[in-house]
Amino acid sequence: MAILNNRKTKVSDEVPTSSMADIAFLLLIFFLVTTTFPKDKGLAIVLPEPGETLEVSQRNILHILIQPGGVVVVRRGENPQEQQLRPDQIEGLWRHEVSQNENLIAAVKTHPDAAYEHMVDVLDALQSANADKISLQVLEQ
Amino acid sequence: MAMKGGGFERKSKASSEVPASSLADIAFLLLIFFMVTTVFQADKDRPIAWPEAEAAQKIDEKQKNILNIWLEQTGSVYMNDQPFAMADVSSFVAPLYAASERALVISIRSDRQTPYRFVDQLQQELVDAGVVRVVFATQLEQSLTRERR
Repeated sequence: MAILNNRKTKVSDEVPTSSMADIAFLLLIFFLVTTTFPKDKGLAIVLPEPGETLEVSQRNILHILIQPGGVVVVRRGENPQEQQLRPDQIEGLWRHEVSQNENLIAAVKTHPDAAYEHMVDVLDALQSANADKISLQVLEQ
Repeated sequence: MAMKGGGFERKSKASSEVPASSLADIAFLLLIFFMVTTVFQADKDRPIAWPEAEAAQKIDEKQKNILNIWLEQTGSVYMNDQPFAMADVSSFVAPLYAASERALVISIRSDRQTPYRFVDQLQQELVDAGVVRVVFATQLEQSLTRERR
């Protein structure tokens, strides 16, 4: 009979490497699936080319004047009649106006001291109403 | 000498198992390759309060063709992590625009409280540089928050 102390141990002394591949692939696939590249969102506009000016009949212009406090004043062409609105009322107004005149151009004139967010609100409302002819200007006193 | 099956039933030396020991190396190689080649946005975010918009759409252009212009409340302009004077914007953007073969999209990232005069000056600079495609970067506004206002 052999000496008892010299027994062969049944536990392997090596690191089990057969599952490493599974772990690595699992990590790889996990990161491939969960990685999302943040795409920027925004309101796209097309600026005019340098020196490009267009003559537009006053009849086809809807003046949208943005005051410093965020109040929006709307004037139609040369008509001196003014209408005070909130930015979220512009969308309905535009839909109504453009149904009567397809060639309407929105002239957004912002006061130099008005906050950028008011202009974005109005632009947002116009783009929500599918307006594509938008002109951004600064309001001259 | 009597052999079982007349000596024809030879043991095949090729292993019948897929060699799994190299799979780990392949997987780690792929993992490291993707980690190294992934490029994230180059410039750091400036501390601004984003304006919100409902009609905001994703910018349909490759990341390398988007130039972010940060415009802070005070009117200071940052491009590629560097401050610029408003008057220098056009001379910086024009060569970039030409190099991108007119595909460059400018993303204006401005604070919501920025007075509009600065935005207008920036637009003038971009018109001078010949840029036509501009995006006012915003965060998407949920219709619920709009109703609450």
